[in-house]
Amino acid sequence: MAHSQDKHSALGQGVTIFIYLAILTLLEYFVAVSFNATSLLVVMAVSKAALVMYYYMHIYKLGADDGADPHSYAYKTGTNRFGLWLFLLSDGFVFAGLLATRINLLGFTRPHQLSQILGLGVTAVLLISSFFMNRGETAMKYGDRKGFMLNTAITFLLGLGFFIGVIFVEWRLAAAEGLTASFGNPADGPMGAVFYIMTGMHAFHVLTGLIFLYVVWNNARKGVYTAEKHWGVEAAAVYWHFVDLVWIFFYPALYLIGTAV
Amino acid sequence: MKNMNPFWRGMLALLVFSLAGYGVGLGLDVLVDGKVNFSGPVPGVFALFFGFTAFFLGVFGYRGITRGLVWQVVGTLIGGLFVALIRLVMGLPAFGDFFFTEPSWVFGGLTGVLSFIVGVGVVDDWIKWARGLDTPEHHEEHYSDWRKYFGVSVDHKVIGVQYTVTALLLIAVGGLFALIFRTELAASKLQFLTDQTQLFGQNGPQLFNTLMSLHGMIMIVSILLGISGIINYVVPLLLGAQDMAFPRLNAFSYWIAVPAAVLLLSSLFLGGFDTGWTGYPPLSARAPVGMQMFFLGVFVAGWSSVLSALNVLVTVVRMRSVGMTAMKMPIFVWASVATSLIALTATQFIGLSFQLVMFQRLFGMGFFDAAKGGNPILFQHLFWFYSHPAVYVFVLPGLGVISELLPVFVRKPLFGYRWVAMSSLGIALVGFLVWAHHMFTSGMNEYLRVPFMYSTLLVAVPTGVKFFSWVATIWKGRISTPTPMLFALGAIVVFLLGGLTGPPNATVSTDLHLHDTYFIVGHFHDTIFGGFVFPFFAALYYWFPKATGRRMNETLGKIHFWLMTPSFLFLTLGMMYVGLIGMRRRIVDYDPALLIDGWHLALTVSAFLIAISVLVFFYNFFYSIKNGEKAEGNLWHSRSPEWQVPSPMPVHNYDRPFEVVGEPYDYGLNDAGYVKFIESAGGKHG
Ligand code: HEM
Ligand SMILES: [Cu+2]
Repeated sequence: MAHSQDKHSALGQGVTIFIYLAILTLLEYFVAVSFNATSLLVVMAVSKAALVMYYYMHIYKLGADDGADPHSYAYKTGTNRFGLWLFLLSDGFVFAGLLATRINLLGFTRPHQLSQILGLGVTAVLLISSFFMNRGETAMKYGDRKGFMLNTAITFLLGLGFFIGVIFVEWRLAAAEGLTASFGNPADGPMGAVFYIMTGMHAFHVLTGLIFLYVVWNNARKGVYTAEKHWGVEAAAVYWHFVDLVWIFFYPALYLIGTAV
Repeated sequence: MKNMNPFWRGMLALLVFSLAGYGVGLGLDVLVDGKVNFSGPVPGVFALFFGFTAFFLGVFGYRGITRGLVWQVVGTLIGGLFVALIRLVMGLPAFGDFFFTEPSWVFGGLTGVLSFIVGVGVVDDWIKWARGLDTPEHHEEHYSDWRKYFGVSVDHKVIGVQYTVTALLLIAVGGLFALIFRTELAASKLQFLTDQTQLFGQNGPQLFNTLMSLHGMIMIVSILLGISGIINYVVPLLLGAQDMAFPRLNAFSYWIAVPAAVLLLSSLFLGGFDTGWTGYPPLSARAPVGMQMFFLGVFVAGWSSVLSALNVLVTVVRMRSVGMTAMKMPIFVWASVATSLIALTATQFIGLSFQLVMFQRLFGMGFFDAAKGGNPILFQHLFWFYSHPAVYVFVLPGLGVISELLPVFVRKPLFGYRWVAMSSLGIALVGFLVWAHHMFTSGMNEYLRVPFMYSTLLVAVPTGVKFFSWVATIWKGRISTPTPMLFALGAIVVFLLGGLTGPPNATVSTDLHLHDTYFIVGHFHDTIFGGFVFPFFAALYYWFPKATGRRMNETLGKIHFWLMTPSFLFLTLGMMYVGLIGMRRRIVDYDPALLIDGWHLALTVSAFLIAISVLVFFYNFFYSIKNGEKAEGNLWHSRSPEWQVPSPMPVHNYDRPFEVVGEPYDYGLNDAGYVKFIESAGGKHG
């Protein structure tokens, strides 16, 4: 299934995976509001992450045969791809550290001030953006520049929506509910601190992802990429999915796991 | 001025402009404070900044590093003023004790680093790529003489030298700091850094704390740069590659380390800090602004280390010559891989832990503030999750150098190649499981103590493999002892002492007594000198001819070795002794009743002897670049590919690719050698 032959089935595969992911996300939400099942949530997050890494970020390409000529575009792309994945691994440690911080400081509690609807909403927006990103990358792979630009523009707008939803809506609502990062207010406890650092660091990555998307969109407009040579597009797509991947863990960690206090 | 030697022109500029800067700073101070303060921070900063910028300007003109530094300062000012403006609008005080307020300094520090990067020109190509433009694979350098090292180059050999020389400079600065505070320790009570001492707004004991803390971190940064230097220069040559996998990223990694070092040093002028290199809260949450500059500097230097590790890993995986299978790679390549794996991943944790303290200070976020429900022990976990593995980042390349050099100088195969290669990875992996051995007395959960004690003792196994291999390699060899070999042998002895003093620290019952004493200081100086400093010198003496076509003077090299080694052994063993008697670490004074005044005096003297030996090295190093004895052939009769071509190494490395046809270390055996150059069809012979 991974190595789809024609454009039609490649796009179809993206749809299938998206449906799986959407169902899992909804399940996650309903499991969390109905029972206290942390381990189940962890399993679901890991399965979502695996789907994204395999089908959207096509991690299997790391093992691809790039031919023997080190000066060929394919070989250089393989080298770049390996470098990008190492970068993501390293960056992943930042988020792992943030998760560890959250577990240490909050344990089985979570902030009650967050809006569940908004949380599910921004999560859905980011997930859908990943879906369009996948369509965009697939389009480029088949030389469809217009299709790439359209889908990437949609991805960009959705990503922007996520960013605004978290930083300008959720942050304000939460602060209004009394969840603050505590400018010298000792009553707050670490709850607000953890919430703002996790969402803030993630949003920072969303922002860099948006810049990256704009750059490749603009270059596609100038006709820089072809069906054979579009490493920039692949890199932007993989990075964008990585941002989604992080949120797959952060969303349950902040909104779903533990009791709201 | 025009036809003056650029170096002396720079020196003249340095002198004139640092005096001018001092005057300007003094003047500004008088304007603000209304009184003359010769030892305040402002004149010092201005003198340093004016002086160094003028130096680079004189040597190099307004490009490369000069432009980077100017931009960094301008960027810092703009960032700082920006925050000051925002604070003004918000009705908060816009300016603080050190001209700017703390948020201004942090934001300005960050914008300063970004400005440096743009100013120095290391992101030019990336900006072009982002705009859809193509760039040539290779750039012509503006200068082809020694001045090319002051600007951006993407040649791994140039970058290797840049790293190495920067590391040496930082070692000199860090060493100078150590001499200053070591002088105060020569006798109990305060004589040198007293309460009356005033410099940069700090009194003697405060200065002691700042210098001691900076000594630690400057040395760590210099180690990270030093290993990058050797790796950058040597690894592509060993692999037979034209360059690193990502040459621009390589230059970027180097150039962000420069503003990072500037930030680190600037903390000296911004009130200093008193936490030691570990920066534990709660102390670090209330230390002066200098603390933030320290955190920011380390954060940026950490990214330098991450990105260069990434580059090394990709290079090794993707750019090996034909026939160089994993088990035929030179052992130093294996060591570089192991080091890079740690640096790539664990470094993020120290960055994160420092970032969280910075945010705690800036926004009152209570991560580590127990009064707000935070957990100071969490900081220690995050910090040591990097900083223990980091000690293996420091030493693995050095241990690789030892394994690389021994066979050359005993003319025998390396004993147990596979085991040595795997032991590097083993150390790297086990190194991730032991971090809490630094926290036995911290108040962490007690049930954690014993597992961490055992996991720590487990590290001795892969480390033991290396010792076994070294001893067996030397056994019955035809040993010759030119300077690089002396340093390799010295490294083994010193590292052995360091390794043996680890288990007492790792055993809970003994560590409760040893923790935070000079015993620990002795332990880690032995491990770090044995694992990094000695092998680093060995590597420099060994590969110097490859880079310059000349060798360093043997007599001076031997003086360096025979002066440094006994002094150093005495220093660390003495440190351990006073530690056992009850000398605490990181403290400006001690109780005369401990009866260790005499010891401390002797330790200070030996520290100065080490400094003298390093001066001999510096003289030898810089003198030999131009005047050393010519050495253009295979000076050490090595089998390694880089020695099969003439020195200095040609600009684009090998003119023909090579193929691996034998084992890397089969010295003394009759075979065709390790590599064979592939003649291109109809190519010339020679
Ligand atoms: C690879 C070479 C090694 C290096 C570079 C190294 C370095 C260090 C450093 C820098 C410290 C002091 C940290 C601080 O500032 O608090 C330290 C402490 C310590 N080392 Fe090592 N070490 C090495 C090997 C070992 C080994 C082999 C062991 C045990 C088997 C060990 C066990 C310890 C322990 C337990 C401490 C903490 C002591 C305390 O603070 O109470 N080390 N080491
Ligand atoms: Cu340790």
